[in-house]
Amino acid sequence: MGNCFSNDTGGMSAVGGTAGAHGNPYDGPNDAVDLFLRNRGYNGLFSQIELSFAAIDLLDRDVLSKSDPMVVIYTKGRDGGLSELGRTEVVLNSLNPKWITKHNITYHFEVVQTLVFRVYDVDTQFHNVDVKMLRLEEQQFLGEATCALSQIVPKSDRLLTLDLVYREDSESSRSNRHRDRGKLIVHAEESVSSKTTVEMSLRCSDLEYKDLFSKSDPFLIISKLTESGTAIPVCKTEVIKNELKPAWKPIYLNIQQVGSKDSPLIMECFNFNNNGKHDLIGKIQKSLADLEKLHAIGQGENLFLPTTVGHDYQNKILKSQLFVDKFTESVQHTFLDYLAGGCELNFMVAVDFTASNGNPRLPDSLHYIDPSGRPNAYQKAIIDVVEVLQFYDSDKRFPAWGFGARPIDGPVNHCFNLNGSSHYCEVEGIQGIMMAYTSALQNVSLAGPTLFGPVITNAALNASQSVANGGRKYFVLLIITDGVVTDLQETKDALVKASDLPLSILIVGVGGADFKEMEILDADKGERLESSTGRVASRDIVQFVPFRDVQSGEISVVQALLAELPSQFLTYMRSRDVKPIL
Amino acid sequence: MAATSRTLEITVISAENLQLDRKPIKKNASATVRAENDGQFRTTDMDTEGGAYPKWNEKLVLDLPMQARSLTVEVQCKTSYGVRTIGTAKIPVSDFVGGFVPEGYLHFLSYRLRNHRGERNGIVNISVRMKVPELKACATTSSLSSMGFPMGDSSFGCGGVPTGIPVWCGPYPKSY
Repeated sequence: MGNCFSNDTGGMSAVGGTAGAHGNPYDGPNDAVDLFLRNRGYNGLFSQIELSFAAIDLLDRDVLSKSDPMVVIYTKGRDGGLSELGRTEVVLNSLNPKWITKHNITYHFEVVQTLVFRVYDVDTQFHNVDVKMLRLEEQQFLGEATCALSQIVPKSDRLLTLDLVYREDSESSRSNRHRDRGKLIVHAEESVSSKTTVEMSLRCSDLEYKDLFSKSDPFLIISKLTESGTAIPVCKTEVIKNELKPAWKPIYLNIQQVGSKDSPLIMECFNFNNNGKHDLIGKIQKSLADLEKLHAIGQGENLFLPTTVGHDYQNKILKSQLFVDKFTESVQHTFLDYLAGGCELNFMVAVDFTASNGNPRLPDSLHYIDPSGRPNAYQKAIIDVVEVLQFYDSDKRFPAWGFGARPIDGPVNHCFNLNGSSHYCEVEGIQGIMMAYTSALQNVSLAGPTLFGPVITNAALNASQSVANGGRKYFVLLIITDGVVTDLQETKDALVKASDLPLSILIVGVGGADFKEMEILDADKGERLESSTGRVASRDIVQFVPFRDVQSGEISVVQALLAELPSQFLTYMRSRDVKPIL
Repeated sequence: MAATSRTLEITVISAENLQLDRKPIKKNASATVRAENDGQFRTTDMDTEGGAYPKWNEKLVLDLPMQARSLTVEVQCKTSYGVRTIGTAKIPVSDFVGGFVPEGYLHFLSYRLRNHRGERNGIVNISVRMKVPELKACATTSSLSSMGFPMGDSSFGCGGVPTGIPVWCGPYPKSY
């Protein structure tokens, strides 16, 4: 129900009928850190990116004047298909244009969002035509550039300069292709509404009695109005029992949740009923800007009740009033602020080499290396995750480990360096991981059992050493496994300890095993992890996904895995009051 | 003179799912933090409205003796029959001292509460930060060793130099 953090049990019931009488008042596990932040009004992740464009040294395609350039922005799908996002205006007679039109795109951390920019010289005869109506095949193509959105956002200046090149499918002569076609400069700015949170304290006076033997039990629901007039709830308050002059706990709204400060909001006051059929006491329609004014002048606004008189709908003005006792705006640092401010994600990988994977030389093995080059499940999981995370790791050197195998000359090892070195564990880029993985398959014999404890402890050691050195890094460990973990309690102990460090753990289950037990490790699915000593994980740092579940579906494994990472990162940074260096 | 204790800043954040006689408590929960082998303790205010999910967000400052191995957090509830203990949690000092993280690191820790019969009874959420004394480069051997740093060969240079940690002139650096 939006990002309102003043729920209690009644408030939970408020929208969804009856909650358990004494249920946990928060939707997920009540993490210590999460609660600490909620009390300070921190919300989830909202990132609208505004793209703006400039170019230098464009080709001059006009005879008597300079080119009249326009940029067309596309997103590239997984299948390589392009879909148009928008167009800039046409800048007349300029080879170094700065376009005014901005384009908004929602940033998704968990996806590689490939953008394609094509620059056209618009023919003079079309200068009075709306850019949306222009037929691109009738304009002269000046060049194109491609990048991933995640190449721009981690940069401190959020600027990326791209060489304009000739389109590969263009029929123009090959000699033209390598001419210098100028450069396109792309600037990505996170919209301020993504960062701005409003804190409001609301109260009502003179509410009507709705219960037979007691006063009303009021709560508020705040909804935003869509263009079609539909109301979408974004926030609710707690229920205050037996009260006609309720003053609710502060509520927190991200401005982007509601659209803008001027977007209309419906604020409905209900009387809570256990059966879920809550009585409407009264409502008002106000924007955040209106509510700010109410707070400034210290006056209340009368609620109304929609009534029907014959065939007419009328609003009955009530004596009840809504007051805004507090209205403050604050700007939070976002995930992108941290990235631009020098924080990095450091990626680590651990691969399961236990015997249950099957003989790597046989095609039915999960470790089988297909001569045709088709990646196996382990390789695919690595490629998909690293493809996203590599943009956020400046040196692209990744610690890579294996577990559950016996090196040629030794006992079973539950955390060995994938590259075969006894001194260092890092490899260079995706290629480095792939080469280390294939060579490890030649140099170890698969064994068992499946123990996660040692690799988690090693990853935690990396994270704690970074903290000790004053590093502004957040670590991500990917564990790929085919089996259920044998050392469940030791794994829980290691995870509970690691929950206090800048570390998240992604677990991908490959093959046909029953991974029910693995879901225990992911606090999304149940209780918080508890160690053998009674210590409980202070935050959820594990994401588990079985590879087969989402292979054919809409959401890729990577998206399912990485979706929670930004909020885990923010929870850690904000709770420790780490500020980005902006 | 060697320091005999360390100063801890303990923020008692909240607790979850507190019960008395198998029923969720309605109000008036508070928490007490106590150092081992020491009469010293600190108590939060009562949360009069949080029910079974109280929130305190209250910082308590406590001196922890050097030899202490644990802290105890006790959550209690004021009822018409007097103050009753809901559950206690024993916090090993090793959970927030030692390892690679710096001494001033803010640890977020959660623990299972157990009642007098040893049954699970909710969770308490706290944060702990050790207040770091201002170390000078010319600090004496005794004050450094009392902080648990291994000492180097005292015959080398002037007095003992701690090994394995940088020697700072002035206050210790922040963790970020």
